[in-house]
Amino acid sequence: MDEEDEAPILTAVSSSARQLYQLLRCINFSEKAHVQISDEGLKFSVDEASVMEGSAFLAKSLFTTYTFRAPRPQRNSQHIDSDEEGEDPDDLTATPTFQISLPALLETLQIFGLTDPNTSKPPWARDNPTSTAFSNNVLGMNNMCRILYTSLGSPLTIILTEATIRTTCDLTTYEPAFSEEIPFDRANLSFKTIMRGNWLCDAVGELSSTTPEKLTLWARTRGGKPYFALSSSGTLGSARVEFNNNPQPSSRAPPPPPPNPSSAAAPDQQPQANLLETFQLGDPETTLRASYKFSLIQRAARAMSVATKVSIRVDAQGVLSLQFMIEVETGKVSFVDFRFVPLVEEDDEEADETMLGDGEASGSDDDDEDML
Amino acid sequence: MRFKASIQNITTFTKLTASLNSLGPLAWVKLSDDQVCFTIIPEQGTQVWAALSIDTIFETYTVQSAANNVINLEVPLGPLNRALKSALNATSAQIRLTKKDSMPLLALTIVTTSSSNSYSAFPTGASNDGGLDAPFDDSFGGGNRETIITQEVPVRVLAPDTVAGLHEPQCREPDVHIILPPLLQLKSISDRFTKLALAGARSGPGSTASRTRLEMAANMHGCLKMSIKTDAMSISSVWTDLSNPELDPGQVAGGEIGISEHPSTRMKLLGSADGRSEEGWASVRIDGRDWGKVMSVGRLGGRVIACFCHEHALILYVYLPSDNGEDESVLTVRDLALAFLITPLNN
Repeated sequence: MDEEDEAPILTAVSSSARQLYQLLRCINFSEKAHVQISDEGLKFSVDEASVMEGSAFLAKSLFTTYTFRAPRPQRNSQHIDSDEEGEDPDDLTATPTFQISLPALLETLQIFGLTDPNTSKPPWARDNPTSTAFSNNVLGMNNMCRILYTSLGSPLTIILTEATIRTTCDLTTYEPAFSEEIPFDRANLSFKTIMRGNWLCDAVGELSSTTPEKLTLWARTRGGKPYFALSSSGTLGSARVEFNNNPQPSSRAPPPPPPNPSSAAAPDQQPQANLLETFQLGDPETTLRASYKFSLIQRAARAMSVATKVSIRVDAQGVLSLQFMIEVETGKVSFVDFRFVPLVEEDDEEADETMLGDGEASGSDDDDEDML
Repeated sequence: MRFKASIQNITTFTKLTASLNSLGPLAWVKLSDDQVCFTIIPEQGTQVWAALSIDTIFETYTVQSAANNVINLEVPLGPLNRALKSALNATSAQIRLTKKDSMPLLALTIVTTSSSNSYSAFPTGASNDGGLDAPFDDSFGGGNRETIITQEVPVRVLAPDTVAGLHEPQCREPDVHIILPPLLQLKSISDRFTKLALAGARSGPGSTASRTRLEMAANMHGCLKMSIKTDAMSISSVWTDLSNPELDPGQVAGGEIGISEHPSTRMKLLGSADGRSEEGWASVRIDGRDWGKVMSVGRLGGRVIACFCHEHALILYVYLPSDNGEDESVLTVRDLALAFLITPLNN
């Protein structure tokens, strides 16, 4: 039992708490967040009634120092400790998972900047004119943040240092709730497109004005050109936002489009300003249509507004995955993921039940690169 | 009974009444020959005992009464503050005690000069291109116009017997005294702490914690610690490199010997300057919201010394900045303007 005096499980130092705050704020819709610590980084995930989940991944590269020491690793994973004593390794995973209070973490990260009384004044009016070209606040180093996780069951400690003030926050760690990830079958996609995040944000913002209950996603190929639309319906009426890749004035009728199998996919002209970067349909012959609860989609609004790009994917079961690429500083990108379970539709009759596909989740987030 | 004064420093007086008003609606104002005292004793929360020298606020000050030239008034701070706000741009302001239909009131007479630009159709002064009309314009009223505003604040005159029983509470010698960092900085952090605690209480089942327990602690090595605990978290901020003023042997009972036996001298032996040691802290638990209100006195500027009696009391002494260029490193009892007695929470 020498774990206690050894190095902590996790020590991570970030030179910018604001970056961490920006990413975590995107998934701020739940009281508790699951935290998963691994060699690659910290994964924060929240879910809502198992029909929606969001996760933000704070990759190792966001931190200036990131030291992870797997707690009592399993036999063949890492060779930090050779387990001579015959311990039962089954319930001790190499990636510690626990829950913390997400609002508390966000408030803590925001303490920065508040404490600097000098920022509102010009340099010559400051009380202690110690600021030089190399002082911390000029270099943007004034929000150093250290994350510490000593041992299994110990609190997650956030230490913020600014000038002569040191703030320490111990976040109580809770046992993880046993919730399954929403399965998303990457191998069997029925639709995929990539577009700019603020366009999706504008579209959803536009639709929200009628306080709709349902958001329907339409996608098809027509005359070799991709067509993507979002429509909303609720008690106050319905609205639709269309995304067309070619900016020509279109005379086509907006009501639900009939399946138009124009198999002659001749790329007649390359449109100049493409709204949709990638456009793939699992079955180009048919129109994809899937509905989701609007209020849940709106939870991702914060991510939409800050993301540079968003990858919209729907798998064969209708599960929607929104993956946002967020540029935290030039050249450094991070990803925030959302998944939504679709509403069941039967002949335009909305049913409130949700459907959970049982396709197995591949669990790896290694397909992030296609947006880059 | 006669009281009349012109207000010399309207901004300070306005900020003072605004700060006091956040702690309680009514103030006992004691006007005497050498000082003006504002005392606030709310049912719950922080008491304020402020003694201002006359020239902090007033000039040409006269007070006369049958009781040793002392007048005791009960003044509603809200109306007084509102009245003073209208005097912020005044060229001069006077305050006096009068009667109207046998109702005592403080009459505030404010003289403002409103620039004529907003009223006259023509631009005045230098912008006149001809220059010939200018003297005519000025005599016509194109110059500054004087407006006199009178604000009346109803007060109650208190008999000397009524206030005879009120005394500033005495407290034992503090364990730690320390100069606080800028109050607005402290307030921004303490407000966030309070918000955090309330957010935690909201999610907790059946907890009706309307009070937030803020723990304040300080040591004799320049460290101040503010912390709060909830179910979900515990957070604390530590300030280092603050200063603990030296005690003046002339002010402490017993002189040099008194200082060597003073509790703060013992506390100096404990703890460390980096604030990491567990020892040497004098701590007091207070209500977070109450603290936030006290912090609003930060707008007055000036230096604040906090005196901690371990698990017993926290007293803040506010020294208003003096503009006569005195050496600010020396604080004497005479400079002391406000004392805040912050009620500790029982466990």
